[in-house]
Amino acid sequence: MRNIALPVLLAASVGLVSCGSAPEEPIEQIIVSEPGGAAAGVKQAAATAPAADDLVSQGKAAFAVCAACHSIEAGAAAGPGPNLNGVIGRKAGTAEGFGFTDAMKASGVTWTEAELDSFMTDPAAKVAGTSMTAGAVNDPEARKAITAYLASLTQ
Amino acid sequence: MNDTVEVEKPAKKKGKWTRRAFIGAGVAAGGALVVGVAVRPGNPVDSLKDIVAGGQGEELINSWVKIGADNVITAIVPHCEMGQGANSTIAQMLADEMDADWEKVRVMDAPADGNYVSKDALRVFAAPGFKGGETMEPTYDGLFTQISKLAGGYVTGGSSSVRSTGQNGMRIAGAAAKEMLVAAAAAEWSVPAAEITTDKSMLAHAKSGKSEPFAKFAAAAATQELPRAPKLKTSKEYKLMGRPMQRTDIPAKVNGTANFGIDGAPEGQALKYAAVKAAPIVGSRVKSMDAATAKGMPGVLQILNMGDFVAVVADGYWQAQQALNSIKTSYEKTDIDALNSNKMFANFGKALDEAGDDGGDSKASEGDVLGVMEGAAKKVEAEYRVPFLAHATMEPMNCTAWVRDGKCDIWTGTQVPLWARSAAAEGAGVGDDDVTMHSAFLGGGFGRRLEPDYVTQAARVAKATGYPVKLIWSREEDTAHDHYRPADISRFKGGLDKEGKLTSWNNVHCSTDEPAESPLVEFYDIPNVSVRNAEVEWPLKLGAWRSVGHSQHGFFVESFVDEAAHAAGKDPVEFRRELLAKSPRHLNVLNGAAKMAGWGSELPEGHGRGIALVRSFNSIVAEVAEVDMTKGMPRVTKVFCCVDAGFAMNPDGLSAQMESGIVYGLTAALYDEITLKDGAVQQSNFHDYRMMRMDDAPDIAVQIINGAPDNLGGAGEPGLPPAAPALANAIFAASGKRIRELPIAKHFA
Ligand code: HEC
Repeated sequence: MRNIALPVLLAASVGLVSCGSAPEEPIEQIIVSEPGGAAAGVKQAAATAPAADDLVSQGKAAFAVCAACHSIEAGAAAGPGPNLNGVIGRKAGTAEGFGFTDAMKASGVTWTEAELDSFMTDPAAKVAGTSMTAGAVNDPEARKAITAYLASLTQ
Repeated sequence: MNDTVEVEKPAKKKGKWTRRAFIGAGVAAGGALVVGVAVRPGNPVDSLKDIVAGGQGEELINSWVKIGADNVITAIVPHCEMGQGANSTIAQMLADEMDADWEKVRVMDAPADGNYVSKDALRVFAAPGFKGGETMEPTYDGLFTQISKLAGGYVTGGSSSVRSTGQNGMRIAGAAAKEMLVAAAAAEWSVPAAEITTDKSMLAHAKSGKSEPFAKFAAAAATQELPRAPKLKTSKEYKLMGRPMQRTDIPAKVNGTANFGIDGAPEGQALKYAAVKAAPIVGSRVKSMDAATAKGMPGVLQILNMGDFVAVVADGYWQAQQALNSIKTSYEKTDIDALNSNKMFANFGKALDEAGDDGGDSKASEGDVLGVMEGAAKKVEAEYRVPFLAHATMEPMNCTAWVRDGKCDIWTGTQVPLWARSAAAEGAGVGDDDVTMHSAFLGGGFGRRLEPDYVTQAARVAKATGYPVKLIWSREEDTAHDHYRPADISRFKGGLDKEGKLTSWNNVHCSTDEPAESPLVEFYDIPNVSVRNAEVEWPLKLGAWRSVGHSQHGFFVESFVDEAAHAAGKDPVEFRRELLAKSPRHLNVLNGAAKMAGWGSELPEGHGRGIALVRSFNSIVAEVAEVDMTKGMPRVTKVFCCVDAGFAMNPDGLSAQMESGIVYGLTAALYDEITLKDGAVQQSNFHDYRMMRMDDAPDIAVQIINGAPDNLGGAGEPGLPPAAPALANAIFAASGKRIRELPIAKHFA
């Protein structure tokens, strides 16, 4: 958006170079919690993985993004999407009282935790032609939690 | 002729610079613009290959185009997608020259590693009027390559992407790629190249009935000689250029899968969040920080006094921001602790008084302004004023940084990936090459994301804490720590002769002009002109704001022309027609807008029409605004916009940019100002820095004139400058009230 004159352009780059020499360190740094476990990779995160119950309650919270379309109580009427109570172990597109797309019915998927994870990652990639156009979950942790929550309702 | 929109500065060297000559050099030179063209050892394409063509069976034809085994063609574009759709249009230009199947064209951001520098963009951007001689060309090219590398010219700004990179880069890349594919097929089929036809990413030889997809010959094509001057299509031969092709970025934005800067994150890492608060006055520093409460708040991991800002790092963004809000800070004194807006404008006024009728820095001087003014039959004088403006992008400033093992990864939306890379390197204390930029869409740029200050901050915090950190500015932070569109005062004196013709024009203002032609009116036939600026000091950081200097001067110049028309007792359109007698393209645009609006026809009581015409970024735009003054506060009901951008590569995209420029321009004109009290910005959020909403927005109609198919103009900015003056002129027509100070709402409180 800006149309800089040549000298300004050069000045800008020189500016960057000159102050590039000494990045300013914090003058005061209060560490409330140690950063050791901080940049924790997946492995470490798994070592201190929250207890399963915790995961379920996290999943319940994370399910909020699905709840706009999916009911979850046993026997509750379907919304824009089918009721997801007991979905784990169910064949895709077979829940009663919902008009699935042919794509979903013909997908041949049986909803396991792994299948759910990949569906949530990218619904249209998993079941091409599905009418579930929203609801993809990018965060793998959130997917895990939601799957755990759905599984807890099946048992 | 006064009509050339590109400002012609006197040529420094003899000889005519032609685009063709430059293109040849540009493609062959293998400098920054085209990073080698064939895959050969030692060619930079080799090192880039793995980055951009990682997939199986993918071949890189030249650095700007890639053909996959599935015959999908990817345009690698050194510009950013910030809603303007330029990358898609640039890909369209490539695809057309290549005869590619648009359904199977993808766009990819060029990696920000210094190898993709749009020398052409920089050329248009940095020295729009410079035209070197033919013999100088190689040096000039070299110079630009150097500068681009130095300054990191992977820049999206100056409404330049389509007319520079698209026109002088992508089209050549596409045409070259096609010729190389044809040559490869000709060799394989043992037929003359001239007998091979291309269409929809297929090569065909009619006589033998042979037909194969591009992909089949991608590898062989990459070993062909680079055509030195590939033949470009004429506008009559265009198949995709000039057509409203669907933008490649839209599906992801509609289905929610689009990746914006704020979505960025290292894979498999638990992110931490940072909230920041900078010292409120430019140049001030944190003196003390009391974080007693913050320390005990949930989720808080670290609290930092970085000298120029305070940061809290926490498990969640909300936690970080809440804790930050509880911190009490005091600041060192500065020279401008007592400054407020009135005082600043008074200083501007003083500088203008000193410049008087002939002082200051001359920007244009033609004829004898003072003498002719002296003898004018009628004199018109006016002073206009505009405030500082913030960008208010919908996606607030944010950057995710992870610094470890001497390396730094950055996820952010930026208009300047290479400057941002340097900014990150500076903050992280590593070299530029140790920084990996992960590109993403920008949730609005408007010039704000030309400044990578938030990137440096994120890198500093990430380095200090060791966490991968997502740093997000609150809306308050964004509003109060922008790089603002400069406030300005502009004074005019005009002289009219007996026939009511404008014979002298004397203007002085404060802002330094970017681009240089923004205050100039050479397309208007005024024999005596003086345009000057007076130097002042700025209490805030300044930046480029959509259309830059045109945003102020469009309002100043076109308001004054309107006042002059009324003083001459002439209709504002008629008055401009006379002034545009020697500028046929401008005149066409003016007439186009007037016709669309039914200029001169009856309007209901209390309604009015105003017109304005501004040339910016090599495009000419006229707008007629209709206003309803019957409800107290002015309501813009309609805007008719006529634009000549040379040639509309994607008319749908050009119209959309006109509409968006108009809405952005009207928002500022009607509602917004950034003011200073005690040296600090007073506004903080959308309650005191309003956005135009759907119910305030006018109906907009856009008409396109393709007035110069080989002389393209920009799209992202030119729709904006005429909006404010058209509205102010309409208010005058409806009510007799002349608005000389923005925002308009101030005058109707
Ligand atoms: C915008 C509405 C919407 C949202 C939000 C949404 N879904 Fe769906 N979902 C649907 C629709 C509609 C279908 C039926 C798709 C079809 O028939 O192709 C569906 C189908 C499903 C199915 C297949 C059910 C079956 O019995 O075969 C699963 C599993 C599912 N969704 C899970 C989720 C999860 C988990 C979320 C949240 C992360 C979510 N959905 C969010 C609309 C939505």
